[in-house]
Amino acid sequence: MFKKILIANRGEVAIRILKACQEMGVKTVAIYSDVDTYSPHVQLADESVPLGDPTPSESYLNIPKIIDAAVGTGAEAIHPGYGFLAENPDFAYACEDAGISFIGPKAEVIELMGNKIVAKQKMEKAGVPVIPGYHGMRQEKDFLLEQGEKIGFPLLVKAAAGGGGKGMRIVYKKEGLEEAIEGAKREAKSSFGNNTLLLEKYLDKPRHIEFQILADAYGNTIHLFERECSIQRRHQKVIEETPSPVMTSELREKMGKTAVKAAETVGYTNAGTIEFMVDSSLQFYFMEMNTRLQVEHPITEATTGVDIVKWQLRIASGEKLTLCQEKLSQRGHAIECRIYAEDPANGFLPCSGVLTKVEPPMGPNIRNDMGIETGMEVTAYYDPLLAKLIVSGENRKDAINKMIWALSNYVLLGITTNTSFLKEILAHEAFRHGDITTHFIDTHFKNWFATKMEIPVEALIALSVYDTINANTAIQKKEVAVPSVSDPYSPWKHAGKWRISD
Amino acid sequence: MINLELSYEYNNHVYKLTAERTKQEKEEGEEDAYLITFNGRTYPVTASEIKPGYLRIKFGDKTIKAVIAKGNENRFVFLNGNTFNMKRVLPTSSKKIEKKNGLLSPISGKVVNVKVEEGVSVKKGDILMVIEAMKMEYLIKAPFDGIVKKIFLNVDEQIDMGMMPIEIEKTEEG
Repeated sequence: MFKKILIANRGEVAIRILKACQEMGVKTVAIYSDVDTYSPHVQLADESVPLGDPTPSESYLNIPKIIDAAVGTGAEAIHPGYGFLAENPDFAYACEDAGISFIGPKAEVIELMGNKIVAKQKMEKAGVPVIPGYHGMRQEKDFLLEQGEKIGFPLLVKAAAGGGGKGMRIVYKKEGLEEAIEGAKREAKSSFGNNTLLLEKYLDKPRHIEFQILADAYGNTIHLFERECSIQRRHQKVIEETPSPVMTSELREKMGKTAVKAAETVGYTNAGTIEFMVDSSLQFYFMEMNTRLQVEHPITEATTGVDIVKWQLRIASGEKLTLCQEKLSQRGHAIECRIYAEDPANGFLPCSGVLTKVEPPMGPNIRNDMGIETGMEVTAYYDPLLAKLIVSGENRKDAINKMIWALSNYVLLGITTNTSFLKEILAHEAFRHGDITTHFIDTHFKNWFATKMEIPVEALIALSVYDTINANTAIQKKEVAVPSVSDPYSPWKHAGKWRISD
Repeated sequence: MINLELSYEYNNHVYKLTAERTKQEKEEGEEDAYLITFNGRTYPVTASEIKPGYLRIKFGDKTIKAVIAKGNENRFVFLNGNTFNMKRVLPTSSKKIEKKNGLLSPISGKVVNVKVEEGVSVKKGDILMVIEAMKMEYLIKAPFDGIVKKIFLNVDEQIDMGMMPIEIEKTEEG
């Protein structure tokens, strides 16, 4: 096992990895930009290296700075987390060149799977079903328009190097295709530095179901079952669960075998995810492979008992994968909600500001993966994901009810977040019936902003009382002196001067 | 004796209340009592702040448990699992806030494309400007038919939420 590793990320995922390292006795190095100086991930790490300018390209995306930080602190390996440099082959190559282990697959494999066009061709050859579309290298606008019309509408236009919904457009009519191609090219260029697009048939009632893969360097590849990630807004997942409500044991076995085959075809090592689209007749198609730790990995951990991050470290340090497929099973049901700093009533626009109070719900089978704390400022520099809430129960119904309880007891004040919206989704009849597709939010919550909740009189009364109490203390502004007490262990002894207010 | 006039803005509405603290001297363990008046009705309540921001308020046979946090004028009230973002405003504010010109940036970010020039005429829904924030693109569209009077921002400039990026003069109908 490594003695020391650097975590090239921030927020909740950096903390998730830091904790795994600490449990395993691995020393940790955090990196941070100027705005993250007091962030929890920096406090938690054994050492930390400042990167300066908060602009991503100058900090968490700056390969030379991060490699220097690892070399300078004597870190043997780098864990990239997800996002930022996690799927950047240049970063994996740079680690190799510097003699540092990259905790993930080989750079060549990241490169191969990172190009969605090449990846699809490779999968097609290996007999893995793929969605009909144009995955070629010809990129002239007229040619793409022609191909798009050939495939038919609705049509998906997306960045070949993309992910996370960036550089992606759905086109319903021929007339909108040209604008969609231009917009997607621009967004792809600015997000990924590559404006190659691919076109795809857009499926009817599609579900997004993915399989978690673990593979070692000795040819052992297993899957840790599925995750249903159909609940999305702006093509980004917000609620994930496992098992999928449509899964049957036959389909699971078939998809699991296909996922393992897909990973083996490219010589995959470490943790990865094969994403499939599943249509209304339960036909499944390979969509893409994510060559990294997935945001929603905790639901798999909750139902299989496997710690995916620890296995990532073990596999990267050359250990053998000792889990075997036959002995793995799913137990109960787990759900994850992504808590975003965004306003669902205003087009899911990201929000920034200071978190004045953060108190996550606690209870049996409730897990909080968080990158935030009270008093922290959320800036517009990075992704608006604040925290993840993961619950598990004996069955789906139990898990849904637990999640609604947990969200109802999640104190997260100071910035507008999506927690009320998440609760509405979970409570929706169609969701409870497992009747979900990737269009769920558009179908059922299109005009959600219009039903924005009336303010209850109780909230106004509570606030008036609060402001009256505060006005009171502001006038009196008591300075309370330390009372003389004889008890040597009394906390008052060490309290010093303090003030009643705030 | 404290008597406060309080006004809060929520969802473009202003709510006015008065709060009166009724008991000055209180017995050990007794809670503070208040009279809250809203919309012509007075609610006698007792309340205590259990720990900073955590209120337990009783009125009639009801108990309200609320968590409140503030940042400058903003007040976040967490009640029954829902969060209400309110703003404390001066008591002189009018009952209804006038809906502002639709051409305010809904987001902070960077201008990546300006599609129009000053003096050109635009139709409602035309894309005027593209703003990028958190790696996503947002389109600023014309709220009505009109003429581009002034462009305040150029490509690569920072824009803050609520800023007016472009001024459009409405075309007279007829």
